[in-house]
Amino acid sequence: MIHLENVSKVYPNGTEALKNITLDIEQGEFVFIVGPSGAGKSTFLKLLIHEETATFGKIKVSGYDLMKIKQRKVPYLRRTMGIVFQDFRLIDKMNVYDNIAFAMRAIGAHERDIKKRVRFVIDMVGLNGKEKCRPNELSGGEQQRVSLARALVNNPEMLIADEPTGNIDPKMSFDIMKKLVEINNRGTTIIVVTHEHELVKEFGGRVIIINGGEIELDKTLPTKYHPMKKIDDTDGNDEETE
Amino acid sequence: MMKFTSSRYLVKEGLKNIWNNRMMSLASIVVLVSCLVITGAAVLISANVNSLISTIGDDNQINVYLDYQISDIDAIRLGPEIKKIPNVDECEFYSKDEGIKEFKDKIGNDIYQSMQGDENPLGHVYKVRLKDLSKYSSTIEAIKKIDGVVNISDRAAIARTLTKLNYFVAIAGFWIVLILGVVTLFIISNTIKMTMYSRRFEISIMKSVGATNTFVRIPFIIEAMTIGLVAGILSSIALICIYDPVRESAGSMMSMIASSTIPLEDLWLRILLAFSGAGVLIGALGGFISITKYLRKEGGEILGW
Repeated sequence: MIHLENVSKVYPNGTEALKNITLDIEQGEFVFIVGPSGAGKSTFLKLLIHEETATFGKIKVSGYDLMKIKQRKVPYLRRTMGIVFQDFRLIDKMNVYDNIAFAMRAIGAHERDIKKRVRFVIDMVGLNGKEKCRPNELSGGEQQRVSLARALVNNPEMLIADEPTGNIDPKMSFDIMKKLVEINNRGTTIIVVTHEHELVKEFGGRVIIINGGEIELDKTLPTKYHPMKKIDDTDGNDEETE
Repeated sequence: MMKFTSSRYLVKEGLKNIWNNRMMSLASIVVLVSCLVITGAAVLISANVNSLISTIGDDNQINVYLDYQISDIDAIRLGPEIKKIPNVDECEFYSKDEGIKEFKDKIGNDIYQSMQGDENPLGHVYKVRLKDLSKYSSTIEAIKKIDGVVNISDRAAIARTLTKLNYFVAIAGFWIVLILGVVTLFIISNTIKMTMYSRRFEISIMKSVGATNTFVRIPFIIEAMTIGLVAGILSSIALICIYDPVRESAGSMMSMIASSTIPLEDLWLRILLAFSGAGVLIGALGGFISITKYLRKEGGEILGW
Protein backbone atom coordinates (compact mmCIF):
# COMPACT_ATOMS: atom_id res chain seq x y z
CA MET A 1 0.00 0.00 0.00
CA ILE A 2 2.84 2.40 0.91
CA HIS A 3 6.33 1.86 -0.43
CA LEU A 4 9.25 4.20 0.21
CA GLU A 5 12.65 3.41 -1.21
CA ASN A 6 15.74 5.48 -0.37
CA VAL A 7 13.61 8.57 0.09
CA SER A 8 15.27 11.85 1.03
CA LYS A 9 13.77 15.27 1.38
CA VAL A 10 15.89 18.39 1.32
CA TYR A 11 14.06 21.73 1.71
CA PRO A 12 15.15 24.76 -0.34
CA ASN A 13 16.83 26.25 2.76
CA GLY A 14 19.11 23.19 2.87
CA THR A 15 17.40 21.37 5.76
CA GLU A 16 17.61 17.62 5.22
CA ALA A 17 14.32 16.50 6.77
CA LEU A 18 14.44 12.86 5.70
CA LYS A 19 17.53 10.79 4.86
CA ASN A 20 17.40 7.69 2.79
CA ILE A 21 14.17 6.26 4.22
CA THR A 22 13.05 2.82 3.06
CA LEU A 23 9.89 1.18 4.37
CA ASP A 24 6.71 -0.63 3.38
CA ILE A 25 3.29 -0.44 5.02
CA GLU A 26 0.79 -3.08 4.02
CA GLN A 27 -2.98 -2.80 3.70
CA GLY A 28 -4.68 -3.18 7.09
CA GLU A 29 -1.61 -2.40 9.22
CA PHE A 30 -1.73 -0.24 12.35
CA VAL A 31 1.46 1.83 12.51
CA PHE A 32 2.74 4.34 15.03
CA ILE A 33 5.24 6.90 13.78
CA VAL A 34 7.09 8.20 16.79
CA GLY A 35 9.86 10.75 17.20
CA PRO A 36 10.80 14.06 18.80
CA SER A 37 9.89 17.45 17.32
CA GLY A 38 11.81 18.17 14.12
CA ALA A 39 12.59 14.48 13.60
CA GLY A 40 10.95 14.42 10.17
CA LYS A 41 7.53 12.96 11.08
CA SER A 42 5.56 15.83 9.51
CA THR A 43 7.66 15.73 6.36
CA PHE A 44 6.99 11.99 6.16
CA LEU A 45 3.23 12.64 6.30
CA LYS A 46 3.45 15.51 3.80
CA LEU A 47 5.20 13.18 1.36
CA LEU A 48 2.44 10.58 1.75
CA ILE A 49 -0.34 13.08 1.01
CA HIS A 50 1.79 14.76 -1.67
CA GLU A 51 1.89 18.17 -0.04
CA GLU A 52 5.64 17.87 -0.55
CA THR A 53 7.64 15.97 -3.15
CA ALA A 54 10.67 13.87 -2.24
CA THR A 55 14.03 15.13 -3.45
CA PHE A 56 15.34 11.60 -4.11
CA GLY A 57 14.00 8.07 -4.02
CA LYS A 58 10.77 6.29 -4.90
CA ILE A 59 7.37 6.65 -3.23
CA LYS A 60 4.28 4.64 -4.09
CA VAL A 61 0.98 5.16 -2.24
CA SER A 62 -2.25 3.31 -3.07
CA GLY A 63 -0.89 2.46 -6.51
CA TYR A 64 0.16 6.04 -7.35
CA ASP A 65 3.81 6.74 -8.11
CA LEU A 66 4.25 10.02 -6.24
CA MET A 67 7.49 10.88 -8.04
CA LYS A 68 5.63 10.91 -11.36
CA ILE A 69 2.04 11.73 -10.38
CA LYS A 70 0.34 14.45 -12.43
CA GLN A 71 -1.13 17.37 -10.48
CA ARG A 72 -4.65 16.57 -11.67
CA LYS A 73 -4.37 13.05 -10.21
CA VAL A 74 -3.44 14.25 -6.71
CA PRO A 75 -7.09 14.71 -5.58
CA TYR A 76 -7.76 11.08 -6.49
CA LEU A 77 -4.73 9.96 -4.47
CA ARG A 78 -6.09 11.93 -1.50
CA ARG A 79 -9.48 10.28 -1.81
CA THR A 80 -7.79 7.01 -0.83
CA MET A 81 -6.85 8.48 2.55
CA GLY A 82 -8.50 10.25 5.46
CA ILE A 83 -6.56 12.75 7.55
CA VAL A 84 -7.09 13.56 11.22
CA PHE A 85 -5.34 16.70 12.47
CA GLN A 86 -4.14 17.50 15.97
CA ASP A 87 -6.12 20.79 15.94
CA PHE A 88 -9.27 19.05 14.55
CA ARG A 89 -9.71 21.69 11.78
CA LEU A 90 -13.48 21.83 12.10
CA ILE A 91 -15.47 24.64 10.53
CA ASP A 92 -16.99 26.69 13.36
CA LYS A 93 -20.04 27.91 11.49
CA MET A 94 -21.09 24.37 10.51
CA ASN A 95 -22.71 21.84 12.82
CA VAL A 96 -21.38 18.31 13.31
CA TYR A 97 -23.45 16.87 10.46
CA ASP A 98 -22.35 19.53 7.97
CA ASN A 99 -18.71 19.35 9.02
CA ILE A 100 -18.70 15.66 8.20
CA ALA A 101 -20.89 16.00 5.09
CA PHE A 102 -18.55 18.75 3.83
CA ALA A 103 -15.89 16.16 3.01
CA MET A 104 -18.36 14.30 0.78
CA ARG A 105 -19.80 17.44 -0.79
CA ALA A 106 -16.25 18.53 -1.63
CA ILE A 107 -15.87 15.53 -3.91
CA GLY A 108 -19.30 15.97 -5.47
CA ALA A 109 -21.17 13.14 -3.74
CA HIS A 110 -24.92 12.87 -4.12
CA GLU A 111 -26.96 14.32 -1.22
CA ARG A 112 -28.80 11.01 -0.78
CA ASP A 113 -25.50 9.12 -0.33
CA ILE A 114 -24.19 11.86 1.96
CA LYS A 115 -27.17 11.51 4.30
CA LYS A 116 -26.77 7.75 4.51
CA ARG A 117 -23.00 7.71 4.94
CA VAL A 118 -22.80 10.61 7.43
CA ARG A 119 -25.35 8.94 9.70
CA PHE A 120 -23.30 5.76 9.51
CA VAL A 121 -20.01 7.40 10.52
CA ILE A 122 -21.68 9.50 13.24
CA ASP A 123 -22.92 6.26 14.73
CA MET A 124 -19.50 4.66 14.23
CA VAL A 125 -17.66 7.33 16.24
CA GLY A 126 -20.40 7.51 18.88
CA LEU A 127 -21.71 11.01 18.24
CA ASN A 128 -25.41 10.17 17.98
CA GLY A 129 -27.56 13.06 19.17
CA LYS A 130 -24.78 15.61 18.57
CA GLU A 131 -25.49 16.14 14.87
CA LYS A 132 -26.78 19.68 15.29
CA CYS A 133 -24.10 20.83 17.75
CA ARG A 134 -21.52 23.38 16.65
CA PRO A 135 -17.84 22.51 17.32
CA ASN A 136 -17.64 25.05 20.16
CA GLU A 137 -20.41 23.17 21.97
CA LEU A 138 -18.35 19.98 22.05
CA SER A 139 -15.50 18.75 24.24
CA GLY A 140 -12.02 18.28 22.76
CA GLY A 141 -12.54 14.53 22.53
CA GLU A 142 -15.88 14.96 20.77
CA GLN A 143 -14.36 17.45 18.34
CA GLN A 144 -11.63 14.94 17.53
CA ARG A 145 -14.31 12.32 16.92
CA VAL A 146 -15.99 14.68 14.46
CA SER A 147 -12.64 15.09 12.75
CA LEU A 148 -12.27 11.31 12.71
CA ALA A 149 -15.77 10.89 11.25
CA ARG A 150 -14.95 13.44 8.54
CA ALA A 151 -11.76 11.54 7.69
CA LEU A 152 -13.74 8.30 7.45
CA VAL A 153 -16.80 9.51 5.60
CA ASN A 154 -15.33 9.00 2.13
CA ASN A 155 -14.47 5.42 3.09
CA PRO A 156 -10.68 5.76 2.64
CA GLU A 157 -8.27 2.85 2.35
CA MET A 158 -6.00 4.43 4.92
CA LEU A 159 -6.31 6.89 7.76
CA ILE A 160 -3.49 9.20 8.72
CA ALA A 161 -3.75 10.74 12.17
CA ASP A 162 -1.29 13.52 12.93
CA GLU A 163 -0.98 13.76 16.74
CA PRO A 164 -4.70 12.92 17.14
CA THR A 165 -4.49 13.00 20.94
CA GLY A 166 -2.29 16.08 21.21
CA ASN A 167 -5.10 18.42 22.27
CA ILE A 168 -7.25 16.15 24.43
CA ASP A 169 -7.08 14.71 27.95
CA PRO A 170 -5.70 11.18 28.63
CA LYS A 171 -9.10 9.49 28.99
CA MET A 172 -10.35 10.98 25.73
CA SER A 173 -7.04 10.05 24.10
CA PHE A 174 -7.58 6.46 25.10
CA ASP A 175 -11.13 6.54 23.64
CA ILE A 176 -9.88 8.00 20.36
CA MET A 177 -7.17 5.35 20.10
CA LYS A 178 -9.74 2.63 20.73
CA LYS A 179 -11.85 4.07 17.93
CA LEU A 180 -8.83 3.98 15.63
CA VAL A 181 -8.24 0.34 16.51
CA GLU A 182 -11.90 -0.41 15.77
CA ILE A 183 -11.57 1.27 12.40
CA ASN A 184 -8.38 -0.67 11.73
CA ASN A 185 -10.25 -3.86 12.44
CA ARG A 186 -12.64 -2.98 9.63
CA GLY A 187 -9.68 -3.18 7.25
CA THR A 188 -8.53 0.46 7.09
CA THR A 189 -4.79 1.04 7.31
CA ILE A 190 -4.00 3.37 10.21
CA ILE A 191 -0.91 5.55 10.53
CA VAL A 192 -0.71 7.47 13.80
CA VAL A 193 1.95 10.10 14.32
CA THR A 194 2.43 10.70 18.03
CA HIS A 195 4.97 11.49 20.69
CA GLU A 196 2.86 9.96 23.48
CA HIS A 197 4.88 6.89 24.43
CA GLU A 198 2.26 5.71 26.94
CA LEU A 199 -0.29 5.29 24.16
CA VAL A 200 2.23 3.48 22.00
CA LYS A 201 3.04 1.08 24.85
CA GLU A 202 -0.64 0.52 25.59
CA PHE A 203 -1.78 -0.11 22.03
CA GLY A 204 1.39 -1.59 20.58
CA GLY A 205 1.51 -2.87 17.01
CA ARG A 206 4.11 -1.66 14.53
CA VAL A 207 6.19 1.24 15.78
CA ILE A 208 8.51 3.26 13.56
CA ILE A 209 10.77 5.69 15.37
CA ILE A 210 12.12 8.53 13.23
CA ASN A 211 14.97 10.62 14.57
CA GLY A 212 17.10 13.15 12.72
CA GLY A 213 15.36 12.26 9.47
CA GLU A 214 16.29 8.58 9.71
CA ILE A 215 14.45 5.45 10.82
CA GLU A 216 15.90 4.61 14.20
CA LEU A 217 13.64 1.64 14.91
CA ASP A 218 10.97 -0.30 13.03
CA LYS A 219 9.54 -2.94 15.33
CA THR A 220 6.23 -4.66 16.09
CA LEU A 221 5.34 -4.53 19.78
CA PRO A 222 3.06 -7.04 21.48
CA THR A 223 -0.50 -5.84 21.81
CA LYS A 224 -3.76 -6.86 23.35
CA TYR A 225 -5.71 -4.98 20.69
CA HIS A 226 -4.30 -6.37 17.41
CA PRO A 227 -5.23 -8.22 15.40
CA MET A 228 -8.98 -8.21 15.91
CA LYS A 229 -11.68 -9.89 13.95
CA LYS A 230 -12.51 -8.22 10.67
CA ILE A 231 -15.95 -6.62 10.42
CA ASP A 232 -17.32 -6.00 6.94
CA ASP A 233 -17.96 -2.36 6.27
CA THR A 234 -20.82 -2.76 3.86
CA ASP A 235 -23.01 0.13 4.89
CA GLY A 236 -23.02 3.60 3.46
CA ASN A 237 -20.34 3.18 0.81
CA ASP A 238 -20.61 5.99 -1.67
CA GLU A 239 -19.84 5.81 -5.33
CA GLU A 240 -16.63 7.31 -6.71
CA THR A 241 -17.41 10.88 -7.51
CA GLU A 242 -15.80 14.05 -8.65
CA MET B 1 -18.95 15.47 -16.19
CA MET B 2 -20.26 17.60 -13.34
CA LYS B 3 -23.44 16.19 -11.84
CA PHE B 4 -26.56 18.31 -11.46
CA THR B 5 -26.49 18.05 -7.64
CA SER B 6 -22.84 19.16 -7.65
CA SER B 7 -23.62 22.11 -9.93
CA ARG B 8 -26.48 23.15 -7.66
CA TYR B 9 -24.21 22.89 -4.61
CA LEU B 10 -21.44 24.90 -6.29
CA VAL B 11 -23.81 27.66 -7.45
CA LYS B 12 -25.29 27.83 -3.94
CA GLU B 13 -21.80 28.09 -2.44
CA GLY B 14 -20.86 30.86 -4.88
CA LEU B 15 -23.95 32.90 -4.00
CA LYS B 16 -23.41 32.22 -0.30
CA ASN B 17 -19.88 33.64 -0.67
CA ILE B 18 -21.32 36.92 -1.95
CA TRP B 19 -23.64 37.19 1.05
CA ASN B 20 -20.98 36.18 3.59
CA ASN B 21 -18.61 38.75 2.11
CA ARG B 22 -21.36 41.29 1.39
CA MET B 23 -19.54 44.52 2.24
CA MET B 24 -16.61 43.69 -0.05
CA SER B 25 -19.01 42.44 -2.74
CA LEU B 26 -20.99 45.68 -2.52
CA ALA B 27 -17.81 47.76 -2.73
CA SER B 28 -16.70 45.80 -5.81
CA ILE B 29 -20.08 46.26 -7.45
CA VAL B 30 -19.97 50.04 -6.83
CA VAL B 31 -16.44 50.37 -8.24
CA LEU B 32 -17.28 48.12 -11.17
CA VAL B 33 -20.43 50.09 -11.97
CA SER B 34 -18.41 53.35 -11.97
CA CYS B 35 -15.79 51.83 -14.27
CA LEU B 36 -18.37 50.35 -16.62
CA VAL B 37 -20.42 53.58 -16.78
CA ILE B 38 -17.32 55.63 -17.70
CA THR B 39 -16.26 53.03 -20.27
CA GLY B 40 -19.79 52.83 -21.67
CA ALA B 41 -20.08 56.62 -21.86
CA ALA B 42 -16.86 56.78 -23.89
CA VAL B 43 -18.14 54.10 -26.27
CA LEU B 44 -21.54 55.80 -26.65
CA ILE B 45 -20.00 59.23 -27.29
CA SER B 46 -17.79 57.71 -29.96
CA ALA B 47 -20.72 55.88 -31.60
CA ASN B 48 -22.83 59.04 -31.64
CA VAL B 49 -20.07 61.25 -33.02
CA ASN B 50 -19.60 58.68 -35.77
CA SER B 51 -23.29 58.79 -36.54
CA LEU B 52 -23.19 62.60 -36.59
CA ILE B 53 -20.22 62.61 -38.96
CA SER B 54 -21.89 60.22 -41.35
CA THR B 55 -25.09 62.32 -41.31
CA ILE B 56 -23.12 65.46 -42.09
CA GLY B 57 -21.15 63.65 -44.74
CA ASP B 58 -24.35 62.42 -46.38
CA ASP B 59 -25.94 65.84 -46.31
CA ASN B 60 -25.19 67.69 -49.55
CA GLN B 61 -27.07 70.87 -48.65
CA ILE B 62 -25.24 74.10 -47.85
CA ASN B 63 -26.48 77.53 -46.77
CA VAL B 64 -25.29 80.54 -48.79
CA TYR B 65 -25.56 83.73 -46.71
CA LEU B 66 -26.00 87.00 -48.61
CA ASP B 67 -24.85 90.46 -47.65
CA TYR B 68 -27.08 92.02 -45.02
CA GLN B 69 -27.41 95.22 -46.98
CA ILE B 70 -28.36 93.69 -50.29
CA SER B 71 -31.86 94.57 -51.50
CA ASP B 72 -34.60 91.96 -51.87
CA ILE B 73 -34.58 92.30 -55.68
CA ASP B 74 -30.80 91.92 -55.92
CA ALA B 75 -30.96 88.93 -53.63
CA ILE B 76 -33.55 87.23 -55.86
CA ARG B 77 -31.42 88.01 -58.92
CA LEU B 78 -28.51 86.10 -57.46
CA GLY B 79 -30.57 82.88 -57.60
CA PRO B 80 -30.06 82.13 -61.34
CA GLU B 81 -26.39 83.05 -61.01
CA ILE B 82 -25.88 80.43 -58.32
CA LYS B 83 -27.92 77.90 -60.31
CA LYS B 84 -25.56 78.41 -63.29
CA ILE B 85 -22.67 76.85 -61.40
CA PRO B 86 -22.37 73.29 -62.83
CA ASN B 87 -22.45 71.29 -59.59
CA VAL B 88 -25.51 73.07 -58.15
CA ASP B 89 -28.62 70.87 -58.28
CA GLU B 90 -31.25 72.99 -56.49
CA CYS B 91 -31.23 76.53 -55.21
CA GLU B 92 -34.02 77.67 -52.91
CA PHE B 93 -34.45 81.24 -51.69
CA TYR B 94 -35.00 81.69 -48.00
CA SER B 95 -35.83 85.29 -47.12
CA LYS B 96 -34.65 87.10 -44.04
CA ASP B 97 -38.32 87.45 -42.98
CA GLU B 98 -38.66 83.68 -42.97
CA GLY B 99 -35.38 83.51 -41.08
CA ILE B 100 -36.47 85.80 -38.24
CA LYS B 101 -39.81 84.00 -38.06
CA GLU B 102 -37.95 80.87 -36.98
CA PHE B 103 -36.69 82.72 -33.92
CA LYS B 104 -40.12 84.08 -32.97
CA ASP B 105 -40.69 81.54 -30.20
CA LYS B 106 -37.25 82.03 -28.71
CA ILE B 107 -37.07 85.84 -28.76
CA GLY B 108 -40.72 86.55 -27.88
CA ASN B 109 -43.38 88.37 -29.84
CA ASP B 110 -42.37 91.91 -28.77
CA ILE B 111 -38.78 91.60 -29.93
CA TYR B 112 -39.96 89.75 -33.02
CA GLN B 113 -42.27 92.61 -33.92
CA SER B 114 -39.48 95.14 -33.39
CA MET B 115 -37.26 93.24 -35.82
CA GLN B 116 -39.46 93.52 -38.86
CA GLY B 117 -38.45 95.15 -42.15
CA ASP B 118 -35.21 97.15 -42.06
CA GLU B 119 -34.74 96.32 -38.38
CA ASN B 120 -34.28 92.62 -39.24
CA PRO B 121 -30.64 91.81 -38.40
CA LEU B 122 -30.55 88.71 -40.61
CA GLY B 123 -29.59 88.48 -44.22
CA HIS B 124 -31.20 86.49 -47.06
CA VAL B 125 -30.08 82.91 -47.53
CA TYR B 126 -30.01 80.44 -50.43
CA LYS B 127 -30.33 76.77 -49.54
CA VAL B 128 -28.23 75.06 -52.18
CA ARG B 129 -28.16 71.30 -52.85
CA LEU B 130 -25.09 69.95 -54.62
CA LYS B 131 -25.02 67.22 -57.24
CA ASP B 132 -21.63 65.74 -56.38
CA LEU B 133 -20.08 66.04 -52.93
CA SER B 134 -16.58 65.25 -54.21
CA LYS B 135 -16.62 68.63 -55.99
CA TYR B 136 -17.63 70.32 -52.74
CA SER B 137 -14.58 72.63 -52.42
CA SER B 138 -14.55 73.87 -56.05
CA THR B 139 -18.31 74.56 -55.94
CA ILE B 140 -17.93 76.51 -52.67
CA GLU B 141 -15.14 78.56 -54.23
CA ALA B 142 -17.31 79.34 -57.27
CA ILE B 143 -20.25 80.43 -55.10
CA LYS B 144 -18.00 82.60 -52.93
CA LYS B 145 -16.89 84.53 -56.02
CA ILE B 146 -20.44 85.75 -56.69
CA ASP B 147 -20.85 89.36 -55.65
CA GLY B 148 -23.20 89.69 -52.64
CA VAL B 149 -22.34 86.32 -51.10
CA VAL B 150 -20.72 86.85 -47.69
CA ASN B 151 -20.56 83.40 -46.15
CA ILE B 152 -21.25 79.72 -46.73
CA SER B 153 -22.04 77.18 -44.03
CA ASP B 154 -19.02 74.98 -44.39
CA ARG B 155 -20.20 71.58 -43.22
CA ALA B 156 -16.96 69.97 -44.32
CA ALA B 157 -15.22 71.96 -41.62
CA ILE B 158 -17.71 70.69 -39.05
CA ALA B 159 -17.17 67.16 -40.33
CA ARG B 160 -13.40 67.63 -40.09
CA THR B 161 -13.71 68.91 -36.52
CA LEU B 162 -16.00 66.05 -35.56
CA THR B 163 -13.64 63.53 -37.15
CA LYS B 164 -10.81 64.96 -35.06
CA LEU B 165 -13.06 64.83 -32.00
CA ASN B 166 -14.01 61.25 -32.78
CA TYR B 167 -10.36 60.30 -33.16
CA PHE B 168 -9.68 61.85 -29.78
CA VAL B 169 -12.70 60.09 -28.24
CA ALA B 170 -11.60 56.78 -29.76
CA ILE B 171 -8.04 57.13 -28.42
CA ALA B 172 -9.26 58.31 -25.01
CA GLY B 173 -11.91 55.56 -25.04
CA PHE B 174 -9.29 52.92 -25.77
CA TRP B 175 -7.16 54.01 -22.82
CA ILE B 176 -10.21 54.37 -20.59
CA VAL B 177 -11.34 50.84 -21.47
CA LEU B 178 -7.82 49.48 -20.98
CA ILE B 179 -7.09 51.24 -17.67
CA LEU B 180 -10.54 50.69 -16.19
CA GLY B 181 -10.47 47.10 -17.44
CA VAL B 182 -7.29 46.49 -15.46
CA VAL B 183 -8.78 48.33 -12.44
CA THR B 184 -11.96 46.23 -12.55
CA LEU B 185 -9.96 43.02 -12.89
CA PHE B 186 -7.87 44.07 -9.91
CA ILE B 187 -10.97 44.90 -7.84
CA ILE B 188 -12.72 41.63 -8.66
CA SER B 189 -9.65 39.50 -8.07
CA ASN B 190 -9.07 41.24 -4.73
CA THR B 191 -12.64 40.56 -3.67
CA ILE B 192 -12.19 36.91 -4.55
CA LYS B 193 -8.87 36.84 -2.68
CA MET B 194 -10.66 38.18 0.40
CA THR B 195 -13.33 35.49 0.10
CA MET B 196 -10.68 32.84 -0.37
CA TYR B 197 -8.79 34.10 2.65
CA SER B 198 -11.93 33.96 4.77
CA ARG B 199 -12.58 30.44 3.48
CA ARG B 200 -8.97 29.23 3.54
CA PHE B 201 -9.81 26.70 6.21
CA GLU B 202 -12.52 25.14 4.08
CA ILE B 203 -10.26 25.19 1.01
CA SER B 204 -7.50 23.34 2.90
CA ILE B 205 -10.01 20.72 4.09
CA MET B 206 -11.47 20.38 0.59
CA LYS B 207 -8.00 19.79 -0.82
CA SER B 208 -7.10 17.32 1.90
CA VAL B 209 -10.19 15.18 1.22
CA GLY B 210 -9.49 15.11 -2.51
CA ALA B 211 -11.60 17.90 -4.04
CA THR B 212 -10.37 18.66 -7.54
CA ASN B 213 -9.09 22.18 -8.24
CA THR B 214 -12.04 22.72 -10.58
CA PHE B 215 -14.46 21.87 -7.79
CA VAL B 216 -12.73 24.25 -5.37
CA ARG B 217 -12.52 26.96 -8.01
CA ILE B 218 -16.10 27.00 -9.33
CA PRO B 219 -17.88 28.71 -6.36
CA PHE B 220 -15.35 31.56 -6.46
CA ILE B 221 -15.74 31.98 -10.21
CA ILE B 222 -19.52 31.97 -9.80
CA GLU B 223 -19.17 34.62 -7.08
CA ALA B 224 -17.00 36.81 -9.34
CA MET B 225 -19.26 36.31 -12.36
CA THR B 226 -22.35 37.19 -10.32
CA ILE B 227 -20.68 40.38 -9.03
CA GLY B 228 -19.74 41.20 -12.64
CA LEU B 229 -23.26 40.46 -13.90
CA VAL B 230 -24.94 42.60 -11.23
CA ALA B 231 -22.49 45.45 -11.92
CA GLY B 232 -23.09 45.06 -15.68
CA ILE B 233 -26.87 45.22 -15.30
CA LEU B 234 -26.74 48.19 -12.89
CA SER B 235 -24.33 50.15 -15.08
CA SER B 236 -26.41 49.52 -18.21
CA ILE B 237 -29.54 50.69 -16.35
CA ALA B 238 -27.63 53.82 -15.25
CA LEU B 239 -26.50 54.53 -18.83
CA ILE B 240 -29.95 53.86 -20.28
CA CYS B 241 -31.44 56.29 -17.73
CA ILE B 242 -28.99 59.12 -18.45
CA TYR B 243 -28.70 58.59 -22.21
CA ASP B 244 -31.93 60.26 -23.33
CA PRO B 245 -31.72 63.32 -21.03
CA VAL B 246 -28.13 63.97 -22.16
CA ARG B 247 -29.11 63.49 -25.82
CA GLU B 248 -32.08 65.83 -25.44
CA SER B 249 -30.09 68.57 -23.76
CA ALA B 250 -27.36 68.29 -26.41
CA GLY B 251 -30.09 68.34 -29.08
CA SER B 252 -31.57 71.55 -27.67
CA MET B 253 -28.21 73.22 -28.23
CA MET B 254 -27.82 71.95 -31.78
CA SER B 255 -30.77 70.57 -33.69
CA MET B 256 -28.53 68.40 -35.83
CA ILE B 257 -27.48 66.41 -32.74
CA ALA B 258 -31.09 65.54 -31.95
CA SER B 259 -31.69 64.21 -35.43
CA SER B 260 -28.33 62.58 -36.10
CA THR B 261 -27.56 60.72 -32.87
CA ILE B 262 -28.63 57.14 -32.19
CA PRO B 263 -32.05 56.82 -30.51
CA LEU B 264 -32.27 54.87 -27.25
CA GLU B 265 -34.72 52.35 -28.72
CA ASP B 266 -31.94 51.13 -31.03
CA LEU B 267 -29.43 50.93 -28.22
CA TRP B 268 -30.83 49.77 -24.88
CA LEU B 269 -30.83 46.04 -25.58
CA ARG B 270 -27.31 46.20 -27.01
CA ILE B 271 -26.13 48.18 -23.97
CA LEU B 272 -27.73 45.70 -21.57
CA LEU B 273 -26.30 42.64 -23.33
CA ALA B 274 -22.85 44.12 -23.86
CA PHE B 275 -22.53 45.33 -20.27
CA SER B 276 -23.87 42.15 -18.72
CA GLY B 277 -21.54 40.13 -20.94
CA ALA B 278 -18.57 42.35 -20.13
CA GLY B 279 -19.34 42.12 -16.40
CA VAL B 280 -19.57 38.33 -16.49
CA LEU B 281 -16.39 38.06 -18.57
CA ILE B 282 -14.37 40.38 -16.33
CA GLY B 283 -15.73 38.52 -13.30
CA ALA B 284 -14.79 35.11 -14.67
CA LEU B 285 -11.31 36.29 -15.63
CA GLY B 286 -10.66 38.08 -12.32
CA GLY B 287 -11.92 35.10 -10.32
CA PHE B 288 -9.93 32.63 -12.39
CA ILE B 289 -6.67 34.57 -12.04
CA SER B 290 -6.84 34.89 -8.26
CA ILE B 291 -8.04 31.38 -7.44
CA THR B 292 -5.58 29.69 -9.79
CA LYS B 293 -2.69 31.38 -7.99
CA TYR B 294 -4.13 30.38 -4.63
CA LEU B 295 -4.76 26.77 -5.58
CA ARG B 296 -1.07 26.18 -6.16
CA LYS B 297 -0.65 26.37 -2.38
CA GLU B 298 -0.78 23.24 -0.27
CA GLY B 299 -1.74 22.37 3.30
CA GLY B 300 -0.31 24.85 5.82
CA GLU B 301 0.51 27.35 3.05
CA ILE B 302 -3.24 27.75 2.42
CA LEU B 303 -3.79 28.51 6.09
CA GLY B 304 -0.84 30.89 6.10
CA TRP B 305 1.23 28.74 8.49
